[in-house]
Amino acid sequence: MIELTGIEKVYNDRSSSTHALKGVDLTVRQGEIYGIIGKSGAGKSTLIRCINMLEQPTKGTVIVDGNDLTTMPDNKLREIRKKIGMIFQHFNLLSTRTVAQNIAFPLELAGINKQEIEKRVSNLLDLVGLADKKDQYPAQLSGGQKQRVGIARALANQPKVLLCDEATSALDPQTTKSILELLKTINQKFALTIVLITHEMQVIKEICDKVAVIEDGVIIEQGTVIDVFTRPEAPTTRDFIRNIINHDLPDMFNKTTFLSEPTADSNLVVRLSFIGNSAEEPIISSMIRRFNIDASILYANIDHIQNTPFGTLLLELSGEQGAQQNALTYLNAQELGIEVIGYVTRFNRAVG
Amino acid sequence: MSQDLIELLVKSLWETTYMVAASSLLATLFGIPLGVILVVTDKGHILENLPFNRVLGIIVNATRSTPFIILMVAIIPLTRIIAGTSIGTNAAIVPLTIAAAPFLARVVETAIKEVDFGVVEAAKAMGASPREIIAKVLLPEAMPSIVLGVTLTIISLIGYSAMAGTIGGGGLGDLAIRYGYQRFRADIMIITVLILIAQVQIVQSLGDYLAGRLNKK
Ligand SMILES: Nc1ncnc2c1ncn2[C@@H]1O[C@H](COP(=O)(O)OP(=O)(O)OP(=O)(O)O)[C@@H](O)[C@H]1O
Ligand SMILES: [Mg+2]
Repeated sequence: MIELTGIEKVYNDRSSSTHALKGVDLTVRQGEIYGIIGKSGAGKSTLIRCINMLEQPTKGTVIVDGNDLTTMPDNKLREIRKKIGMIFQHFNLLSTRTVAQNIAFPLELAGINKQEIEKRVSNLLDLVGLADKKDQYPAQLSGGQKQRVGIARALANQPKVLLCDEATSALDPQTTKSILELLKTINQKFALTIVLITHEMQVIKEICDKVAVIEDGVIIEQGTVIDVFTRPEAPTTRDFIRNIINHDLPDMFNKTTFLSEPTADSNLVVRLSFIGNSAEEPIISSMIRRFNIDASILYANIDHIQNTPFGTLLLELSGEQGAQQNALTYLNAQELGIEVIGYVTRFNRAVG
Repeated sequence: MSQDLIELLVKSLWETTYMVAASSLLATLFGIPLGVILVVTDKGHILENLPFNRVLGIIVNATRSTPFIILMVAIIPLTRIIAGTSIGTNAAIVPLTIAAAPFLARVVETAIKEVDFGVVEAAKAMGASPREIIAKVLLPEAMPSIVLGVTLTIISLIGYSAMAGTIGGGGLGDLAIRYGYQRFRADIMIITVLILIAQVQIVQSLGDYLAGRLNKK
């Protein structure tokens, strides 16, 4: 549905030039909710604005629904934009128009007749739950209600893609949740492709199927949300996930030095992550029985990422060195994420 | 007060009203588009054209910084071309319009610049053309401020029109000078000043009311 290739964006000011995007490739499939996360100034807004050409990329191509927008003349681009909805952090509603008139705005632009507009607006008002506010002005609405108007407006022309630029960043957690639920409903009901950018991993976790992490104008990691959450590679990604899923070692290891090779009396510390059904299989107990080792649980957590159970377990395995290695081999053969943290000597550990 | 004087007052009141109304209308007709153009051709806006914008800005500023009485005399040849004569009430409308239009343009420019650029972007994202953005976003959103700007312009024009006597434009100001000042008729002076104050008050109140009605913030 959306195909970005080699996108670069350079902002030239009188005194300086900023390389905001440095070659971004991104593919979003029909019906996906694709999240783009990054810190402030990473280039998120620039990237999402390139998708509907609010920002002209310096290099690269933008293909939406089979149309190359980068080479398109203005009048054709405007027609395509009518099929790409967008919602904004600060809502950007017209203050002199009522709720209903705001929602009608894109329909007027599309030259749809009055009766049809009225019908669609009333359906949209029901969809976003604002039927009783239709004659109010934006100044009389709460932030969450304003964003609902924004969403209704973005959907009015039955777009193929919805772009969300920090759509929930100005809202409190509860309102954020209800807006995200609305987006999810819309995604499922209309098979609408959604691209959203955020700086909150919670938002990604809540509704996204895929995620890309952007840093300094480059996508440093991307994949399905479950993969990225369970096996984050880049430090920035870990930073983002930290608040939601703890990938840190417990405090008691603060002073511990981990060895990369086993010694005669060392214990093995591993982190396991379980996804989906494997979380229910008794892997640990069978490992303990088969290899005659002890396993102490240093940290454990079970979470759900979009209905998929996801657990992390930090284990210290003690027993004969050979048994430890066999257990490791066994674990590696299972369908779970495994990360060897290192070896600790028993002495060291006792002190630490 | 004699019948003659009352007739003179009525005639002057009409002249002032006519000059101000006509030049306000014309100034609005030219000033609003001029203000819009000043905004949309500026850097980063929907019809960016910097050289054009700068030249226009200079012209507007030049007109605005010329004192009205000088402007009026300086453009007499132009007035003659447009109005067919360089004296009289109709002739006065030309300099009044030329002075007021750039003034209003700057006021409109400021009003439109106060419209959050976010809504312009939103309209762009919905596929609005520059024309649609101007007609359906910028002007309606800035309308309360524009109405106040027009009000301000009309009030300035009431003031400027007092100087129109210089080129035989007539009006209340002219009456006050000729009778009230030069012939020591304090009563006429007071009456004309009171009428001028009343005119300003009425215009201001109407403007405030209208702007208040339009403002939904
Ligand atoms: N119009 C512009 N002119 C010049 N530089 C810009 C412009 N817009 C963005 N930049 C620069 O490009 C870089 C990326 O900005 P961008 O707005 O895409 O970041 P972001 O990830 O959306 O950040 P935030 O989370 O703060 O919104 C920043 O260094 C910013 O200063
Ligand atoms: Mg941003």
